[in-house]
Amino acid sequence: MSKSLIELKNVTMKFGGVTALSDVTFDVKEKEILGLIGPNGAGKTTVFNVITGVYQITSGEIIFDGQSLAGVKRYKITKRGVARTFQNIRLWGDMTALENVMTAADTHKKSGLVSGLFGFPISRREEKRDKARAQELLDFIGIGEYSDRLAKNLPYGVQRRLEIARAMGAEPKLLLLDEPAAGFNPAEKVELAATIRKIRDAGYTVLLIEHDMSLVMKVSDRVVVLDFGQKIADDSPRKVQDDPRVIEAYLGVPEDAS
Amino acid sequence: MFNLRDKGAEIWENQGRVGRIVIAVGAIAIVAALPFMGGTFLNTPIADYESVLVYPIAMFVLMAIGLNIVIGKSGLLDLGYVAFFAIGAYTMGLLGTKTGLNTWEILPIGIAMAMFSGIILGVPALKLRGDYLAIITLGFGEIVRIVALNLGALGRSEGILGIPTPPGFFGIEYAFDSHRIYYWTLLILILLAIWMVRRLSARRAGRAWESIRQDEDAAELLGVPTFKYKVWAFVLGASVGGAAGVLYASKTLFIAPDNFTLQISILILACVVFGGMGNIWGVILGAVILGYLPDRIRFLSEARLLVFGLVLVIMMNLRPDGILPRKKREKAIVKKDAS
Repeated sequence: MSKSLIELKNVTMKFGGVTALSDVTFDVKEKEILGLIGPNGAGKTTVFNVITGVYQITSGEIIFDGQSLAGVKRYKITKRGVARTFQNIRLWGDMTALENVMTAADTHKKSGLVSGLFGFPISRREEKRDKARAQELLDFIGIGEYSDRLAKNLPYGVQRRLEIARAMGAEPKLLLLDEPAAGFNPAEKVELAATIRKIRDAGYTVLLIEHDMSLVMKVSDRVVVLDFGQKIADDSPRKVQDDPRVIEAYLGVPEDAS
Repeated sequence: MFNLRDKGAEIWENQGRVGRIVIAVGAIAIVAALPFMGGTFLNTPIADYESVLVYPIAMFVLMAIGLNIVIGKSGLLDLGYVAFFAIGAYTMGLLGTKTGLNTWEILPIGIAMAMFSGIILGVPALKLRGDYLAIITLGFGEIVRIVALNLGALGRSEGILGIPTPPGFFGIEYAFDSHRIYYWTLLILILLAIWMVRRLSARRAGRAWESIRQDEDAAELLGVPTFKYKVWAFVLGASVGGAAGVLYASKTLFIAPDNFTLQISILILACVVFGGMGNIWGVILGAVILGYLPDRIRFLSEARLLVFGLVLVIMMNLRPDGILPRKKREKAIVKKDAS
């Protein structure tokens, strides 16, 4: 088994009296696609939020690439190699698709405001390099032709894909996809599944939240199931599908069976 | 509605290098020649036309460009922008009267002081957002004025008298009433500020500011050091305000706290919003109109401010995004239409 890229150890997240995550432990291995599923309100997006530093966890530990993420600023977590997409699309609408990706790519630039102002060679070089890379990413994700369009004017499906391209712009080791197939039709979902596998094959590790079971089961190497903030299963897609606790969480149990 | 902004951008983009230089030089020449057009319809009937060109028009333009970095580019509502103007002016007043330094030597000091106070204000204030930030900056603007009003060294309500004019060079003399010279000096500063903003907008800083304005949380989660770039926006905005302040003091020879009231902050904010937040040409046009109009219609005497207010209300209703709104058009589509 390859080594873990990120490990959540006994992570608990409380908001006042509400426990959103309770003692959750799992890891994502390098070059793996891990599906994270669970009924509404199970705490899936909270997992993303604690990994990316939106919330500071109440207790437990998150180790990314050998180092703890406790107290690390959000943009620095991104710089270390975690980038995410958003469930409700949050692109920068007044920027073009290309600029959206370039902004994320700026994360790793050495040149900043001053060298940009005076046009130092390093700034020009990085600008040129990142522009080319951003276009490559758009092509890779299959929306290259939209690069000069403002994000807010793009069709819905393209916006969803641009979210992924933008996150990849930040050169993450771990890519967090929050319901990338929301609102997609079956044909688009099949396409997306292929894209996600293509992303993994390009060397990224993917943590995927998705409601569509067939998609998750098709692309994931492993599936973690959350229910009411607790991990109830962590196994291969096949075994998870047959796990009685998972079926119970999703379908409920008949009253006379308990 | 006819879109002036897109029309202008289209003409500019379809030009080669030579064409662009011709347009730029031509535009600068026309603007630089404005002091000679006092005899035309542009004349301000009661106030001295050339002096109106310097203040408020050129001063407003310079300050509006500075404030636009903060409000238009980064979306940070700053209601105390006059503070940086005041800090530049008082630096000039104090050093100009107490030391042997001349205006050109004080200019970088004034800019540095304004930038420094930008950091002082920005670091605590920029942890807050929206309404809270606006209230803090509002307070800061008042604090600076009230400190000037109460500090003996700054002359209290009498202010500072006898501030020296800039020393001349190459035979150019900065006399008290040679408004043209001040106007051209300001024009150079304005061109520098335009260069700075245009340069930064096309690079990393511009993208960072844009992303912060549109969705700050998303920006931070995608690796934009938002706090750092917000402070930068504040500091660069302050530097332009400080530069304007130094020249203002050196021009009027006399400054007092009354020159730096909240009204100036609001007026400059109005220039930015009226012209078109985020679009530098719109902001410049807004500042020119709002600086010029009150003096042009001075013959209305008492009704003047009423008419001024009405113009603002009507314009904001007709064009809520300003006269020249920010970029809305997409290059690719224009290219496709052309071919």
